[in-house]
Amino acid sequence: MAEADVEWELSKENIQPLRRGRDISALHQALTHLQDGDSSAVNQQRQAFETEVRMYDGDDPLDVWDRYIKWTEQTFPQGGKESNLHTLLEQAVARFTNVEKYHNDLRYVEIWIKFAENCPEPLEIYRYMQVQGIGVRQTSFYIAWSEEYENQGNCREADLIYKKGLQACAEPHEKLLQFHKALQARVSRQVMMNLEQGDSDDEPKQTERVHLADLKYKGKKKAIKPINRTGSAIRNVAGGLQSHSASVQGNASQSRLVIFNENNAHTSCPPEPKLEAWPALPTIKAKENEQRPEKWCNVKVPLKSKIGHTVMAPPPSKPTFQPFVEESDEPPTMTPCKINPAVNKVLSLRKPCSLWRRVVRRDCTQAVIYHFFLCCFSVWFSCFFSGHILLALSKEMNLLGWM
Amino acid sequence: MTSTLKGITLKGSAELVADFFSFGINSILYQRGIYPPETFTRVTHYDMILQQTTDPNLKNYLTDVVSQLKEWLFECTVQKLVLVITSLETNDVLERWQFDIECDKSAKESSAPREKSIKTIQDEIRSVIRQVTATVTFLPLLETPCAFDLLVYTDKDMVVPEKWVESGPQIIEQSEEVRLRSFTTSIHKVNSMVAYRKTDSF
Repeated sequence: MAEADVEWELSKENIQPLRRGRDISALHQALTHLQDGDSSAVNQQRQAFETEVRMYDGDDPLDVWDRYIKWTEQTFPQGGKESNLHTLLEQAVARFTNVEKYHNDLRYVEIWIKFAENCPEPLEIYRYMQVQGIGVRQTSFYIAWSEEYENQGNCREADLIYKKGLQACAEPHEKLLQFHKALQARVSRQVMMNLEQGDSDDEPKQTERVHLADLKYKGKKKAIKPINRTGSAIRNVAGGLQSHSASVQGNASQSRLVIFNENNAHTSCPPEPKLEAWPALPTIKAKENEQRPEKWCNVKVPLKSKIGHTVMAPPPSKPTFQPFVEESDEPPTMTPCKINPAVNKVLSLRKPCSLWRRVVRRDCTQAVIYHFFLCCFSVWFSCFFSGHILLALSKEMNLLGWM
Repeated sequence: MTSTLKGITLKGSAELVADFFSFGINSILYQRGIYPPETFTRVTHYDMILQQTTDPNLKNYLTDVVSQLKEWLFECTVQKLVLVITSLETNDVLERWQFDIECDKSAKESSAPREKSIKTIQDEIRSVIRQVTATVTFLPLLETPCAFDLLVYTDKDMVVPEKWVESGPQIIEQSEEVRLRSFTTSIHKVNSMVAYRKTDSF
């Protein structure tokens, strides 16, 4: 017991917090599995879920998915690729998009929210959900949506979302009101704090980052972009790629260059998202060149024949160019001749030919290639030797049953 | 100066433990978001950065509790301290942080200091507080506004002081319990534990 207690603390960085908390025994189990590298039990359980998902034949197919997803969350505390959670959420979400009865089922809406939280652009997903009418009568949908706006620093939109929820009569009504009030309290407190800070102005000094050296300037221009890394600018850096419209504007006013944005020229405020048909789910992964799993049974791999030559699967039926042939020559026949066993005896006397013949006998398709090669060879030859030598050569070859 | 002392007395021990509760409770209130994070300020104690409330009412309340607790610790009459987190709306108990206190009553008779350096004790306390912080990895998110309550279990024959009322244990039904680390001053031993509502089975 005592050791297990230590275990969760030692791997605390590898445990993703869940909204609904974790089952401590499942957590211990998962961590031991993780340490031992023993995944057979987990795989078995997963297999069972997969089978159930496929074979389910009742009234409530969502139930299996719901349990499967919750199990995955608890079993893979570190998240990541092997948990397969993202794909699972994506599948579950896509599976029931057209099932009307689930659209305002709390379980389904929660799966959507988890899916959105896993996506780089959750707002897009929420908007899509609204267009499709998924979760529009569930309070938790509006809470998740609004919280996302709040996290991005857009408290006005966050407030509007709650108003939308109230308009749509989302249930439970009490909870929605309570969260709306809490948001308003947070915002007003923040405003108050900012006012106080404006008076005392202590806080920014504390968080200011000191640069190591001044930037050097080049040429005649002596203007240096001021380094301003306080407040929201810092948070911006920490937040990765999220663009923060407010801070961008702040920076723009400080720099000398005013960047013209033709989008802004037309509309000063961002256009309302249009509630038009939005059939396909917005793309979630911006990953390119991803190979999807596909059937492999029709794919041909070049095989090695017994002698080690690579067998060309479809033999070239005709050369793409017409080799030059002198008028006096007969055009060479392209089909390989059937080798007369009687001739073989003659051929066996000649050493270099015997090897070739054997190859030909084994694989008739290859004769075409050799034949073609000989034709080219003869054309090349004709450039250097007079006609009659070539004629004699080809006659001899004909005699041997080669051409 | 204290670090040069090799031993620990009952009085010192009571003070140390009371200090631990003061910082521990502050830490829990901050971590669990019972009070808004803006109302906390950072202080350095036990060689680590801790959050301490600046809310005057809460401060007064905690000072009262801790000073009373110190008395009880000195008398070795306290058995448990429990921090209960309840939902404001429904009054349901959501989380229960329990600290069991074992007092070595023999320390009351003999005033000879025990041999345990303050550094070792502080190391132990630090690891307890660290673990409290780490519990966010499995505790459920407290979505609704919450209130907290402190319960102190004392020996039976105690007179209930002013400002204190008797209360029930406020146990969570169907709870999940996780034992945390413990520390000892060699006079007082504190075992910590957190209980929370079980997540729905899957």
